[in-house]
Amino acid sequence: MEVVVQMVFGLIALFILVAAAMVVSVRNVIHSALWLIACFFGVGALYLLLEAEFLAVVQVLVYVGAVSVLILFAIMLTRQISGEGVRQLTSRWPVVLVVTVLLFATVMTPTLINQQWNVPPAPPLGTPEPIAGPAELGRGFVNEFLIQFQVVGVLLTVALIGAIVIAFEERARRRKVLTLAEELELKRLRERTTQTETPEPVEAEPVARETRPASEG
Amino acid sequence: MYDMLTALINGALGWGWPEWALNLLSYILIVTIVLVVAPLQMLFFTYYERRVIARMQDRVGPNRVGPEGIWQPIADGVKMFTKEDIVPQAADRIVHFLAPCVVVAPTVLMFAVVPWGPGMVPVDLPTGLLFFFAISSISAVGLMMAGWASNNKFSLLGAMRAVAQMVSYEIPAVLSLIAIVIIVGSLSINEIIAYQAGLIISNRDLPGVPDLGLGWFVFTPVGFVAFVAFFIAALAEGERTPFDIPEADSEIVAGYMTEYSGMKFGLFYLAQYVLNFLLCAITAIIFFGGWQGPGVGWLYAQGITPANPNGNGLFNVLAGILGVFYFLLKTYIFFFVMVWLRGAFPRLRIDQLMDFGWKFLIPWTLANLFSAALWVAFTRWGPAEGMLITVGWSPVLRWLAAFVVTLAINLGVYLWLTRVYAASQAERRRAELEELSAAA
Repeated sequence: MEVVVQMVFGLIALFILVAAAMVVSVRNVIHSALWLIACFFGVGALYLLLEAEFLAVVQVLVYVGAVSVLILFAIMLTRQISGEGVRQLTSRWPVVLVVTVLLFATVMTPTLINQQWNVPPAPPLGTPEPIAGPAELGRGFVNEFLIQFQVVGVLLTVALIGAIVIAFEERARRRKVLTLAEELELKRLRERTTQTETPEPVEAEPVARETRPASEG
Repeated sequence: MYDMLTALINGALGWGWPEWALNLLSYILIVTIVLVVAPLQMLFFTYYERRVIARMQDRVGPNRVGPEGIWQPIADGVKMFTKEDIVPQAADRIVHFLAPCVVVAPTVLMFAVVPWGPGMVPVDLPTGLLFFFAISSISAVGLMMAGWASNNKFSLLGAMRAVAQMVSYEIPAVLSLIAIVIIVGSLSINEIIAYQAGLIISNRDLPGVPDLGLGWFVFTPVGFVAFVAFFIAALAEGERTPFDIPEADSEIVAGYMTEYSGMKFGLFYLAQYVLNFLLCAITAIIFFGGWQGPGVGWLYAQGITPANPNGNGLFNVLAGILGVFYFLLKTYIFFFVMVWLRGAFPRLRIDQLMDFGWKFLIPWTLANLFSAALWVAFTRWGPAEGMLITVGWSPVLRWLAAFVVTLAINLGVYLWLTRVYAASQAERRRAELEELSAAA
């Protein structure tokens, strides 16, 4: 049993590493986003292997279901969608690699040296993990980690308000695409006012509909 | 399934198989059943929808293949398989190929936690409900892949619309389910169903109520609001008609499936109908008791259960048949309502869709969450939790108090929200008209 778990862990870890490497090395930015989603999936599988079922499900819900979709949206709305992107890796990637490895090493070396590798024996199958379930997590949030929870809440609210402030457009400054019904209304209004004024040409595409899904999503 | 196989192979036949072999065999059987049932439901649903919508539009519908056209979906399936698979030259071939798989796989995976009858759940996850929604959100990635890889502006527009809609309507759907989760105190779908035994009132809230399997959540104010909000959100998630903006055929051809043909198109179709089935099923399970109904609880208590190992196996089969009957009946009624809505309502505009989701459904379900907390406080809390009003009340009185309070809150919030929403829509319309007259 132990060997099987080790093998599965190795496969998942390999998958995560390959996916992460592909994120930074493929040329097409959408492809790298898709590889990132694959990487998130691998992490979810790793949680499942650790019997942290709730965390695994939340990982899929939050990262695969929400974060990755937002990333895809952001990519599709900010650059030319179909064009082959430039290489994601800079030309000085060896330097970056060395710096990253050094940083990682400073974190890991003390741990690796000082760690007493006496892994506790596995509990009998079926015993619940101490902090794996939603009830335990919730209790932790309102008792032990109350301050952190509140701070995160405030932070997220600030981010939300900030996003609204950035995305908000004055109604007067928005270039509006009219619907057919509004075109008709406009025409009628203009006919009513032609007796006094001379009509100006209005810049509006005739049949185009209002489609701004992302700004609202 | 494992218990049954153990009883059959090691008990009745006396072969003495090891545990791992029994586990493997039972899971293979379960997976096979699930993988066969999912497409069969989809085949039936296409036929069902076409016949019902035809009747509503004063037509006959498919009636040529077999008696009353019952084999029509199979004929359609054969047609799909024999069509040529066309991939646009400028498409991203790999992503274009992967997208239908990424859309179909989660919908089939969601079957893993759906209970069909008493003791008939493929996997009873402690976080089953969360799993259901986590997995369903994956298909948004598949839609995005399909829309982008086709290299077609209609596909991309359709995918954008689909994902925007899914992401914004997931929130009211999950919020309305959280209200139920608060009352039950568990994310396990089996426990949610077990809570709904009783007669109009759950016999967990009121001990002593006879178990007729009718203590459905829809009879409580909290459950009713959650049901209405969830069903509307489910229509949007399943891209059913008032919300079928992603594949509005009069505007953007077929949305993200525009560039798909043959069996790949068939897979999108499959995913959509399987998802509709699952959404109807989860509505039936969470708010209408799933397999709960008169007789099932009594029959199951006579059969072989963990609590009663010496029961009669025949009663298990009977309870299973009755439970599946109730479950499918409820599911099919909900699908009928979906088709009915398709026959009755025109499509929403995208700004109306977003306004309704964000400005009406989310506040409404949030208020419902508060009522759910009050419900728990009134029916279950004592002085230990700081609930001093209900000390010494009988369970009936506590239940009635909870009912009245939550009803008042939900009704008040509903009336207030409709007024605010109507006013905001009128204001928006007025501002738009003003803008138009300024332009004129």
